Parts: sequence; C-alpha cells; structure tokens
Amino acid sequence: MSKGGSDSRDGFVQMQQFTTHETVDAVVIGTGAGGAPLLARLAAAGLRVVALDAGKSWSPAQDFVTDEPGQSKLFWNDERLSAGTNPLAFGNNNSGIGVGGSTLHFTAYTPRPQPDDFSLADEFGVGVNWPIGYGHLEPYLGELEEFLGISGPACYPWGPARKSSYPLAPLPLNGAAQLMQRGCKQLGINTSPAPNAALSAPYFQQGVGWRPACKNRGYCQAGCTTGAKSSMDVTYIPLAIHYGAEVRAESFVTSFEFNPAGRITAVIYQHDGREHRQKCHHVFLCGGAIETPRLLLINGLANSSGQVGRNFMAHTGMQVWGQFPEDIRPYKGIPGALISEDMHRPRDADFAGGYLLQSLGVMPVTYASQLARGRGLWGTSLTQTMRGYNHTAGIDILGECLPYDHNFMELSGETDARGLPKPRIHFSTGDNEQRLTAHAEKVMRAIWAEAGAEDTWSFDRNAHIIGTCRMGLDANDSVVDAEGRSFDISNLFIADNSIFPSALSVNPSLTIMALSLYIADCFLEKRHKSRQ
Amino acid sequence: MRDDHYPEGYVQDLLQTPFVNEQTRQLMQERLSVPEVIVPVFFEQEAFITLHAVAGRLLPQPATRRSPIDLAGAFDKKMAGNESNGWRYNDMPPDSEAFPAGLKAIDNMSNTNFGKKFHLLEPACQDRILSDIQAGQCSGEYWNAVVPKRFFEELLTALTEIYYSHPLGREEIGDVSWADVPGWPRPGLNQLEAREPLPVLKHGANE
Repeated sequence: MSKGGSDSRDGFVQMQQFTTHETVDAVVIGTGAGGAPLLARLAAAGLRVVALDAGKSWSPAQDFVTDEPGQSKLFWNDERLSAGTNPLAFGNNNSGIGVGGSTLHFTAYTPRPQPDDFSLADEFGVGVNWPIGYGHLEPYLGELEEFLGISGPACYPWGPARKSSYPLAPLPLNGAAQLMQRGCKQLGINTSPAPNAALSAPYFQQGVGWRPACKNRGYCQAGCTTGAKSSMDVTYIPLAIHYGAEVRAESFVTSFEFNPAGRITAVIYQHDGREHRQKCHHVFLCGGAIETPRLLLINGLANSSGQVGRNFMAHTGMQVWGQFPEDIRPYKGIPGALISEDMHRPRDADFAGGYLLQSLGVMPVTYASQLARGRGLWGTSLTQTMRGYNHTAGIDILGECLPYDHNFMELSGETDARGLPKPRIHFSTGDNEQRLTAHAEKVMRAIWAEAGAEDTWSFDRNAHIIGTCRMGLDANDSVVDAEGRSFDISNLFIADNSIFPSALSVNPSLTIMALSLYIADCFLEKRHKSRQ
Repeated sequence: MRDDHYPEGYVQDLLQTPFVNEQTRQLMQERLSVPEVIVPVFFEQEAFITLHAVAGRLLPQPATRRSPIDLAGAFDKKMAGNESNGWRYNDMPPDSEAFPAGLKAIDNMSNTNFGKKFHLLEPACQDRILSDIQAGQCSGEYWNAVVPKRFFEELLTALTEIYYSHPLGREEIGDVSWADVPGWPRPGLNQLEAREPLPVLKHGANE
C-alpha cells in the first residue's frame, strides 16, 4: 500500500484505505478536538493510522439546515442519566457526535488557558495541579491559532505576552457584544473582541486549501454550513487524510483484544450492524469525558487506580439575559464576540479560581427552551417574553469547577439500544462553585444594568464536561501519566477532556487540541528514540 | 416589558425567496403542511385529549391564527419516534413511561380537586393545577410514578421547542434567522436588512 493519500486529478484527495488484517501503527477512537489533531500529526510522521468515529461524516453544504431541531443529528443523543443536586444536561449542552466530534457544534470560542490555571492546588490549596504546565502547551497553542486561522485582537490584554498575534482580525461585534462592551466600560471592566475559531477573512490552510470567511450566520452551535468555523471536519481531518490517515465513520468501538503481556492488539467495533476488528500497535482513546471512561469501565480496563469515571467536572456557566430597547436580532454574528478575563482572579473573590465573561447571541429555539426550562415561564408570560426575542442579549461565564468525590460517572443498570449500560453522572456543585457563581451573577447583572437592560434574568447552568480519566504523576491516583499514557496498558493513550486534572477557567477546546498535539509529539519522540 | 407583534404572513413570503436554502425551505414547508393528528400513534386517546388541553395553556396561540400549531400532534409523533435529547433526570422513569403517567396524574388531580377531567375545566382552574404541578405542590398516589415538577419542566420544554421551531412560532417572534443565504454582513445594534421585519402595532394579542 502506498504511503499518504494520493491527489487525484480533480483535486480531491483519495482517502487511504487499510485492511483490518494489517496491523496499523495506531487506531484513534473519536475525531473531535482530542482525536483529530493527533491523527493528523501521526499521519504526517508517516505512521499508518485509522480513526474510528461513532458518528457520520457530513457534507455541511448539502446536509445541514439553518434550524435547531433539524441539526439535532450533531448531538450525542444516546440517553445518559443525570443525578445529583445539579443534574447536568447533555446532548446539545455539551456532547457532540459525528466526524469532527463536538467541534461540529462548538461556539468556536478559543481563549488560551493562563499559566496559573495549571496549578490551582499551589495557588489555593484546593483541587490538584496539572503534571504539565502552560509552558508545555504554549508552542502548540500558537501552532493551533495559526493553523486554524483564529480571529482575534492584535493585542490580547490578558495572560502572558504572546509570541505571535492572532493570524486574522477579530470578527465583527454583534449586538450582545456591543451592549456588554457598553456596560463593562461604565464599570471599568476591560473587554476585548474574543478569539474565535472562525475566519474573519478567507484563509489558506495546508492540506485543505482556501476556506471562506464567516458570514455571521450565528448558528455555530447548530453546525457551520460554510466551512468558515474551524471545526475538525474542515481542518485537521482533511489534513490527516492528506497525509494518509483513514477515517471510518459510523464505527462504534465496543472492546479490545490483548496479548498475554497485556498490550492491546486489536480494536473491536460495530459498523453496518457487524463486528469488525482492526489490528494495531497503539490506541489513542479520544471519546470525551463520558464515552472514554464508559468504554474503559464496560471493559474493566486501565483502572487499577480506581479513578476511571471519578473527578467529574462541568464548568460553571451561568447566563444572564436581558431585553434592551435596541434592535439586536440575536441570531446574527459569532455568538461569543466579546470577552473579558478581568475576573480570572478577582481581587474580592471568596472562592478559588476564577472565570471569564463572554457576550452571548442565541438561536431562537435554544432561547425559548431556556426560558421554559430555566426560568419556568409558560402561558402568556412565555409567549410575550419570546416576542421580545429580537431585543434579547446575554452574557455568560465560563468558570472553574473543582473535582469532588461526590461527582463521578458510573455505569447504570439500564441498557441502551446497543445493549450497553447507560452512563449515570452524579453532579452537585460545591461551595466554591456557588460562591463563584454568586460573584459572577452580581457582576453580570451590574453590566446589564449599566447597558440599559430590562427584564433581566439568570439561568444557572453547567457547561463543558471534564475529568474522569485524570492525568497525573502517580499511578495510584491517576489514570494516565503526564504524556497521556495509561499507567496500566502501555500502548493505550488518552487524549481528550477526560484527562484534565482541573477544569481551567476558559473554554476547553483549544487546550484539548494542544494536549492532543503534545501527546502525539511525546509519543513520536519516544518512538523515534526507541528505534535509534 | 416589550410586547412586540410582527406582520402576519411574512414567513410564507420569505420562504419563497433565494434568501432561504433549499434544505431549510423543505423542512419549514413540511412543518407548515403537516396535517393535524386526529388519531395519536404513541399516546392513548384519553391522554392525548389532556395533552391538547395542557398544550393550550402552556403555549396559548393567537385567536386570529387560522390553523394553530398542532403541538400535541407533533409531540405524539416525537414520542412515537422514540427521540432522545441525550439525557434524562435520574429520578424520572424513561420518557415513554413518564409522559403518559404524568398526563394521567393531571386528570386524576383534576378529578379530585374539581370533579371533572382537565380538558373540561375553566382555564383558570387548569392554570391552578399546572402551577401546583410546576411548584411540586401536589401529592396523591397518582404522582408516585413521576416527580411532578420534573414532568412539568420536561413537557413544557418539549412543547416550547416544537412551538418555536414551527414557522408560525418564528413569525410570532420576528425571527428570520433561517433566511441566511447571503449571511448577515452587519450584525451590530440596530443594523437591519430589508428582510428583517419590523414590529407592527399590536393586534390579535394572545388569548
């Protein structure tokens, strides 16, 4: 078999195809922010790699609609059971499916983590430190911003000095962003156009070609039809295919085969109603903070520490909404156009960690659904409030969430359509989350009051899922080491949000991608050394 | 609070323009043309009648609307299709049990409190029952199968999502997000494109 994908005459790259009999160098499970970057990295290094994704491979221009229920196909809708005093919403709240994973529906908000995010225990005496620091990820953050074509300000006001600025100018501010800017200015809170992984101008990308500029559709969370959002399906996946990786869609991994030494020899998966096995030398598990530990727990693997499924976290994510006299039309523009990290470590904080502030546009059904579920409006109070949709703007936070013993994911006794146990997730916020959220609510309400809001209301929620296969230095309390390798199974790696030891006070996507590249490079370096 | 009303019929007109892509147009047209469900597939007839009445209180539709959005019918179809949204409360039974049980409990509660079934009650009495369920202020063995406030939240949310996905629901709120083929070059405050409707003077307010 030839190396690399072959470029055919019409410009399309023919995808490499491996047989299940040949032993490939690596199987990557999941093609989201965790799986896709390393897939491309391994393929570029000449490795024979196959990615398996549970979901479909979409052609957005043909398959996507500008309609929220019409795009529910982008969400991981297999049922999960939500327990605890703050039962967490999954599906469209935080869990995607399809080649590209949750980046198909992410809002594209891509701030960097800050150095102190990695050492919460040192700073506050709660939570845990990461076994790696900002310095390990910094080169990858820069590389990602360049490759993905992140749109952002020329000078970003927070965090350490940057070695390179964002490659594209910021996306235009929509109504919510202008209003938040107005309110913050009155209060002396600094703001900046936010870094977003959506192109403010056409951008040439290696292995992909020219990608078009964003048209400000505002439906990022329901999938991008134009390819301007830098989701994995239009960035690292085509790059990986260009370098000779094979991506198998609709392939749901159920288990593994092992040799007597305990190394994985094959990955077993369902495709087209049949069971297949792909022989391989290494496995990179990138299914996210629920499906990654679920697969391990179902098979009783990599859990000598007892930590698989533990330390489940979900970002504090309160939203505050208001109605304004101005015409806003909140479906327009990149939803999170403005950012403030002034609250990264607020001086008057009575909690550990911090949060960022983000302006929020919103799609109509999502907003209606929140008014119903979150505010409990019904009858004429619901329909009248919704008639003010065009005058609605939001701010939300993205904040720290500590790991607790009482927050974990386990297998329930109920099975799903595949006959596999449904996961049950216990989630109850602690004092720290409650104090942080109370601080944030006060700040957000003050911003909206200054900006001229009427009928302000808050929606307390938790967002991104994190934790469950903690990365650490000690095999007794961690699932993977500082390079993402399982302490128990030497050829199993995990690269996704499940290995985050702490939640970080920023949106996780960019950090997940940086970890993915870092883990790939650590792996390649070791492999190279062992061959010398 | 604002009480905006948008011009009737603009959605139908806009749907015929090149501002809407073909896949999106088809989906919207399907929702507009779907016939009213007379015989439910998932719910039993009795529960379906209750569902209609509950939907009418949760999302009252303008009296002037000639063919109201068939919320109960669309919800029956959704339930028959066994669609999940990816999660459910751990203290609730599966949706296929929870919704029929909750609707039955509403009728039982109505019988106990007012001596007749929910759909036969005056709107004020119906609203009292619904408020009590939302607040979790209801008891009786018929509420053993579901947590009342969770059942209320789930039903309200599901019906709300159906309502505002429907072209008439979108028209009511002045939403044209789906007419996005040229994009929105000016997304800032008070910057409207010609296809974005302005509110009109109030008429035909919701019941």
